[in-house]
Amino acid sequence: MPVAAAETEASVQELVSRTPNQLAWVRFKRNKAGIVAGLVSLFFVVTAFAAPLITRLWHLDPETPYADQLNSYGMPKGGSAISWAHPLGIEPQAGRDVFAMLLYGSRISFTLAIVASVATIGFGLFMGTLVGFYRGWVDATVGRVIDFLLAFPTTFMIVALALPLTQRVEALHLGTGNTARIVVLIIFFVLFGWPGFARIIRSQVLSLRERDFVMAAQSLGASTRRILFRELMPNLLSPVIVFLSLTLPVYLSAEAVYSFLGVGVQPPATTWGIVLSDSINYWQQDPSYLLIPAAMLIVIVLALNVLGDAVRDALDPKADR
Amino acid sequence: MSVTRKGRRVIAGVAASTLLAGTMMAVSTTAVSAASKSGGTLIFVTQQQQLDHIDPTRVYTGRDIAFLNTYLFRTLVAYKYSAGAAGYTLTPDLATNTGVPSNKAKTWTWTLRPGVTWQDGSKITCADLKYGISREFAQDVLPDGPTYGIQYFAIPQNSDGSSKYPGPYKATPAQAKLYDKAVSCKGQTITIRLNKSVADFNFFATYPAMSPVKKSKDTGEKYDLAPLSTGPYKIQQYKIGDSLTLVRNPKWNRKSDKIRTPYPDSIEVRFGIQPDVIDQMMKTDSIPNAVSFDGLLPQDVPAYFQNPSTARRGLLVLDPYTRYMAVNAASMNCLAARKALFFAWNTQAIIDANGGTKYYGVPGDNAIKPNLGPDYAPTTGNIHDPNWKATGNPAYVKTLLEQAKTQCPSAYNKLTNTGVSIDLPNTPTYKAWTPSISAAMKAAGIVVTYNFIPSGQYYSTIMNTSKQGDMSRSGWGADWANASTVIPPLFVKNGGFDLSQNWNDPAYPAFVKIVNQAMGETNRAKQSVLWHKAAQYAMDQYWILGVMFSKAADAFGSGVGGVKWWGPQGTFLFPTMYLK
Amino acid sequence: MLKYIGRRLVYTVIILILVSMSVYLIFSVLPMDPAALSCGVHCKPYIIEANRHRLGLDIPLWQQYWNFAHGIFAGRNYGTGSAAFSCPAPSFGYSFTRHECVTNLLRDAFPVTLSLAVGSLILWLLLGVSLGVLAARFKHRWPDRLATGFVLVGTSLPTFISGLMLLLFVVIKFNLVSPLDLGRWVSPFDDPFAWLKTFIWPWITLAFAYAAIYTRLTRSSVIETSSEDYIRTARAKGLREKTILRKHTLRAALAPITTMAGLDFAGLLGGAIITEQVFNLPGLGRLSLRAVLSDYDLPTIVATTLLAAAFVVIMNLIVDLLYAFIDPRVRVA
Repeated sequence: MPVAAAETEASVQELVSRTPNQLAWVRFKRNKAGIVAGLVSLFFVVTAFAAPLITRLWHLDPETPYADQLNSYGMPKGGSAISWAHPLGIEPQAGRDVFAMLLYGSRISFTLAIVASVATIGFGLFMGTLVGFYRGWVDATVGRVIDFLLAFPTTFMIVALALPLTQRVEALHLGTGNTARIVVLIIFFVLFGWPGFARIIRSQVLSLRERDFVMAAQSLGASTRRILFRELMPNLLSPVIVFLSLTLPVYLSAEAVYSFLGVGVQPPATTWGIVLSDSINYWQQDPSYLLIPAAMLIVIVLALNVLGDAVRDALDPKADR
Repeated sequence: MSVTRKGRRVIAGVAASTLLAGTMMAVSTTAVSAASKSGGTLIFVTQQQQLDHIDPTRVYTGRDIAFLNTYLFRTLVAYKYSAGAAGYTLTPDLATNTGVPSNKAKTWTWTLRPGVTWQDGSKITCADLKYGISREFAQDVLPDGPTYGIQYFAIPQNSDGSSKYPGPYKATPAQAKLYDKAVSCKGQTITIRLNKSVADFNFFATYPAMSPVKKSKDTGEKYDLAPLSTGPYKIQQYKIGDSLTLVRNPKWNRKSDKIRTPYPDSIEVRFGIQPDVIDQMMKTDSIPNAVSFDGLLPQDVPAYFQNPSTARRGLLVLDPYTRYMAVNAASMNCLAARKALFFAWNTQAIIDANGGTKYYGVPGDNAIKPNLGPDYAPTTGNIHDPNWKATGNPAYVKTLLEQAKTQCPSAYNKLTNTGVSIDLPNTPTYKAWTPSISAAMKAAGIVVTYNFIPSGQYYSTIMNTSKQGDMSRSGWGADWANASTVIPPLFVKNGGFDLSQNWNDPAYPAFVKIVNQAMGETNRAKQSVLWHKAAQYAMDQYWILGVMFSKAADAFGSGVGGVKWWGPQGTFLFPTMYLK
Repeated sequence: MLKYIGRRLVYTVIILILVSMSVYLIFSVLPMDPAALSCGVHCKPYIIEANRHRLGLDIPLWQQYWNFAHGIFAGRNYGTGSAAFSCPAPSFGYSFTRHECVTNLLRDAFPVTLSLAVGSLILWLLLGVSLGVLAARFKHRWPDRLATGFVLVGTSLPTFISGLMLLLFVVIKFNLVSPLDLGRWVSPFDDPFAWLKTFIWPWITLAFAYAAIYTRLTRSSVIETSSEDYIRTARAKGLREKTILRKHTLRAALAPITTMAGLDFAGLLGGAIITEQVFNLPGLGRLSLRAVLSDYDLPTIVATTLLAAAFVVIMNLIVDLLYAFIDPRVRVA
């Protein structure tokens, strides 16, 4: 979702003794939905990274097949085998604990989404600042490259190229198996994701560099590096935060989508996407196995989106006139 | 089902009948009680986008051969269209006899039946037959079909195994002469000369690849969309991804055809229907005229056959396929390493996950399936070894790993450190296997990695020796009732399907000696004994593991009568199917 | 103006040529070997070589590309002797998996994707714009809150989940469409009702996801324009709110909506892979997906990618030209 450049800029102009960041925090605290969403998101992230601890406390193991919980033809006993010991039930056929699977799965899902978001933003920030600052032929060239990149059908390219590229990554010893598959997905996410953010940054930089404080620094003979890092970068923080909060949920669900299309991390590792695409096969025998991860994915994406909105509103009060 | 789909072969065996009868859950009795009747539209549903091929030269999928032979293509010789043991015997179809061998079965002749015609009304000639058979040699235009002609006909070969005759499309007169020498017509009698004795060559004459093609109507590559019919139906419409519709062929002469019983007025194959939707359709009987072409998903099988109202509309039988993991002997290059994998494998978990022994199958002790007939004999060792446990035996594996450590350090390093790579088709069924495989291997101290390959590219990928992993999921059924279509393809270099890459194994030369002996043996009883020996040898080398003698679970709607299992092609007995 | 159009046209053509070249290059240097992948079970090296020749992969890459590009304008011939056949211009090659000229495959798949795109576009515009206008008019009151909720859920629900739920738990469970007709293409000119039955569910799925974005967009641009001077003037003149909305506000807000709708529509025309996959629709998205997952059917892969790129680039051109027409300043840039 592009954030209109003219809007984000406005936060700088507030004239109170508090810094814009403090102001934003005050505004954020007033947004109850945002707080709740933030807590929910935090909860998911914390549980994801505390997965080994939680599963140990619950006496569960994500890799152990609990064969005794399956009936004689491989389906969870009583439909889903949900019990205190297995709070989210048992995976049909393979017999692993769904709770442990989802916990460990969310680690991969979150890691992938976070790394991809950070990389996208990093690269977009770099390119956007570059073209905004130097303009001229640099701007024109990058603009052409972006036009060219955006012409490709993203989803299809990823599906078509993931398998061979994974083999390439493995051949280059950049990683094997699932590590290679994750690396490939991240590369693709960044490749097709950076232009959007670079465009926002570019317009920001274009307008910032015409502003007095940059002009002043330039006329004082400040080095290019100083202008970039001391004068421009701090002013680009709010679009970065807003874009991050909007990209995270997008990549989180993208991982699930590509699992559904048969690309990305492969079993026996789990991600939310893998559990989801696997569970479709048992939707009649064990609907809870499908509905639980689907609901979780919706909740976390929703929470992140609400949080993103709240952050944007806080950083940019005029966006919601 | 996709694993063995491409590997689906003809299977035949006289002794198989007892076994088949024993495992059959529901033999339709309707054919006996109610008279079969004509009319209606019979619908087959499948998740496939198309039949692999419908060009007679190219079709090589058991089910499709049975389907096309029943409705569209008359072959020189046919299996009898009846259930049980009788189905395995040959009967003349286009020819007046089942083939006359001479010169120690190096020369075969057939004479065409009078009064047989194409769908355009023209007479089927010996020239058509000769032309049809020659198409197999055009591998650059018509690949994928059986290549027995290239292997067996008395036509010189190049060093790479290809024939010096390049097929009818681009042969020079000199090259065409090579073919004419091997295959010749005299009146309506065709003579085929072979480069060696093949006592059961007439079984190959049941393949559509040995049926006539009219030269003037041959469209080469495009013939795969609209082949000319000689059977009781003709193609009205074939749209890949949508449907194939067959309607009655008015030029088909019932009097000239003693074996086909065309009951429905039309037949439709509907493509691209998702497997769970097909199963739902079968369970609820929402389309009574429909028959599932694909078989039920493993998770649906038990419930389907436990419920009497649906079980009545199903067949649960031992299919012709042996399913196994081929162990790559080039990387798992010592017996102890392969043995370690064999005894670590959790067969029980896979059986359980797929519905249990009653619905999925039983652990096997042989690459040859018991329903192949006399060529099967129980082996010793492997699953009869006291150390073998269905759930895996980690303690025993550890002693084997110790042996492997000194005998083959590179394989040992893979087993315990870098990981044994397992090739699996990228389908939900196999993805569901991985947790139990990993758990069992971990318990035994073995590290595994997985290599999921899109199922459409699976066999082509692992057939490439440089791309195959250390162990590959596979399945195979005999082409006909002789282990010569099982043991050599599976375990002999260039046999066609040797996924064990065993040709550098020190044990290989001795093995090949037995195989060659068996291939040259003309006494069928003695040959069987040699096959027993070869099969035992392969098992003793642990070139395959996790062998399953599996079952097929097929389903059909309540409106379809006369549904029976047909052993030779391991599918439905299509000719008896009618609409109630 | 003419000069500008000319320049943009040339640029668009260059982009398309570059895309086609790089698609060819990318897919040709991959470690996927279609000749080996279509070799089958009894594969032998000589069969792979025969395949390579059959698929036209045994000649240098530049020549392959030249044959491809040449074929688009002049058609292509395949095979030799009595097995020869041709794909007339515009030819995108021949699919040996489907035994069909790729152009015909595209022609068959396109109406499906077009139906999907047009139907869902209409649905999401209706839903999105009206919700957006409502939300803007009743800012911070319950219609606005409702719209906000809708926007959040809509953007948070991946289409493959919403589509699957709809398919499994509604369409299949209640047998709303015969399982034989799920995703089966019927031309609206032959049987409009059957066509509607096939497409209504995927439309709903796509519209739900897209409408959310449009609600948000409409809301903010209506709010933005309503504070502009000319709207205030209109209000001061005593015009009724309804008239202002219809005649002024909405008209101004329409520009960004049209732009975005154009680009989204172009994206969908290239093939809505996920929706087509979920609902089993034989459109361009599934055509391309099947080409990848079967035996790496290169001609089909190249053609579908190129077609999708063409839609995007051409729609970009149209949008840019429209803008240039409305706002002369753009032309100078």
